[in-house]
Amino acid sequence: MLEHLGEKLVLRIGGSDVLGLDIVTLIMSWIVMAIVIAFAWWLRQGLKQDVEAKPSSRLVIIESLINLLEDQFSGAFESERLQAQLFSFISTLFIFIVVSNWIAIVPGLSSPTQDFNIPLSFALLVFMVSHYYGMKLNGTGSYLKSFAEPYAFMLPMNLISEIAKPISHSFRLFGNVFGGAVLISVLTAKLIPILLPAFFQAFYGLFIGAIQAFVFALLAVSYINVAVEE
Amino acid sequence: MELSASITTAAKYLAAGFAMGIGSIAAAYGEGQVASHAIDGMARQPEMEDSLLRTMVIGQAITESTGIYSLIVAIMLLMVV
Repeated sequence: MLEHLGEKLVLRIGGSDVLGLDIVTLIMSWIVMAIVIAFAWWLRQGLKQDVEAKPSSRLVIIESLINLLEDQFSGAFESERLQAQLFSFISTLFIFIVVSNWIAIVPGLSSPTQDFNIPLSFALLVFMVSHYYGMKLNGTGSYLKSFAEPYAFMLPMNLISEIAKPISHSFRLFGNVFGGAVLISVLTAKLIPILLPAFFQAFYGLFIGAIQAFVFALLAVSYINVAVEE
Repeated sequence: MELSASITTAAKYLAAGFAMGIGSIAAAYGEGQVASHAIDGMARQPEMEDSLLRTMVIGQAITESTGIYSLIVAIMLLMVV
């Protein structure tokens, strides 16, 4: 079991070294998407009811989920307007990452965020969204000029700090999820195969998974805030 | 040839262990500092608890990234080199 740790099943496109499909990650992220979409569709059916009628249980689930997300993220946005525009984006990031971290507790399934490509693509998405909103709300010229402030020779340092953001953002999620997964598989294979791994799964899969998804979404909000404020 | 290969393997394992062990000291200390000061603030102003908790979690996540970097270095030493 351990000798295949870190190995990947990659389908090379046309025998090239650069282009390839990681099959396990691809299928796992499809499963996560299917779970999220099916759950959302199932909840959506609960809205088809008479306004006068007693609220159905699915309506209550929807309202409590939205309330939970709003409580967590509403204070973090810089302005009400930004929150109205970006709340759904941040919530989608959070829901997808939390489901993909939690799916690893099912034996035989691995979390898609355990592959570095997925956190990196989310971090690059946040990077692009933050610069897009910075340009949109401040004007392109004044936004680009803000990198040369307070002095023009600070430009390289500002650019490096911008590039470091998606790198640290993606490595943080990947390192936490992958570290937990490696620890659990080593523990299962070498030490105690029964009972104890379940508690570690609960800690690393459920607790750390939720915290890291929350942190990823909150850091996305604060990166967007920094770009918008400039 | 065989001796040098085994020395390389030993050095790889030692380096991974040291990278993880020494690298996690600073991250753990920093996270402890963040948590202790956040608790100080919460004890002084319990009504600020929600916003302090959120700021604490972000601060700890940022502090943790140095520890994560050492984990990545250790994993690369073990699996890639």
